Amino acid sequence: MLNKVFGGGTEQKVIDNIKRHMQILLSASECFKKGIEEWDKDQMYCVADLEREGDGIRREIISTIYEGAFLPFLRTNICRFVEIVDEAFDVLKDAAFEFKHLGPKLDEDIMEDCIKISDINRQMCDMLIIAFDTLFNKGDLREKTLAIRIYEKKVDDIKFDLISKLRGKDVKDFWEGRIISDFMSYLTHISDVIEDASDYLHIINLSMR
Amino acid sequence: MKVDEIMTKKLEILDADASIYDAIERMIDKRIRSLLVKPGDEKDVYGVITVRDIVYKVMAKNLDLNKTKVGEIVSKPLVCIDKGIDVEHAVNLMAKFNITRLFISQGKEILGIVSLLDVMSAELIKRAREGHSAK
Repeated sequence: MLNKVFGGGTEQKVIDNIKRHMQILLSASECFKKGIEEWDKDQMYCVADLEREGDGIRREIISTIYEGAFLPFLRTNICRFVEIVDEAFDVLKDAAFEFKHLGPKLDEDIMEDCIKISDINRQMCDMLIIAFDTLFNKGDLREKTLAIRIYEKKVDDIKFDLISKLRGKDVKDFWEGRIISDFMSYLTHISDVIEDASDYLHIINLSMR
Repeated sequence: MKVDEIMTKKLEILDADASIYDAIERMIDKRIRSLLVKPGDEKDVYGVITVRDIVYKVMAKNLDLNKTKVGEIVSKPLVCIDKGIDVEHAVNLMAKFNITRLFISQGKEILGIVSLLDVMSAELIKRAREGHSAK
């Protein structure tokens, strides 16, 4: 719908960049998942690299919008959507940072939950791209955002279980506990941010009617 | 889609001589609606107790939650299917036996559980992904 109404060159540039922005988020989440699966702390550097790349694209998108792309009433919502996607990048980067500072490998059942969450996060990024594409074709945005909410609920369920397991775990010192706690908070917060982004897609869709 | 792709691995096991109150506490703490019940002896098999069992068989009859044992209301044997079975077949089984959850097994080992909610969620995600390659 977006490109039907605003088929101009600058609008198309913004749309292409938003897609690129989300594709990079998907790549970062894939990289993150691989790093956790293989317990490869070096692998996590790619998340920070991709986040920097995402930052550059975000700045370009915002500049293009305020140079005149899209009607003024749409600009705020589109900018907010891009900012939320960028927030997902930040949280993913924070999780990757904490992962690099985790001490010895976590218990197998805890690791299994972390891998599962990072896989759901990755699938949510993919679904967000599909949902964004729906703005340009006849697909049903409502069913895509519902899928995102289902994923988020799954993360919530695992999070609840994970916290119970972690409460019974001994930690060596304050910092070990703090790093594990922060890592889990960031890991489980990514899905909330992606859900917020999908809510904004709904708002953009409504504001174009 | 196979059942092991959508199953929940979170299984909680209780002894048959635990009280219904213990079962309720466990369900609330773990936010689940069913519990596996251990076999009483070597010849016995695993059973299942659900929220529905507790409400209909204990609460509705005004039985004492502390005195009634899980073993008194447990349903046996479990309806299990192999992990490689299609979700569609699992749904047919649920409809046939009028049950809302199936246990997923590999040999004698119980790997997880699939509920109607899991099936519905998986179907909704599949529909949302239609026309897009899954990543």
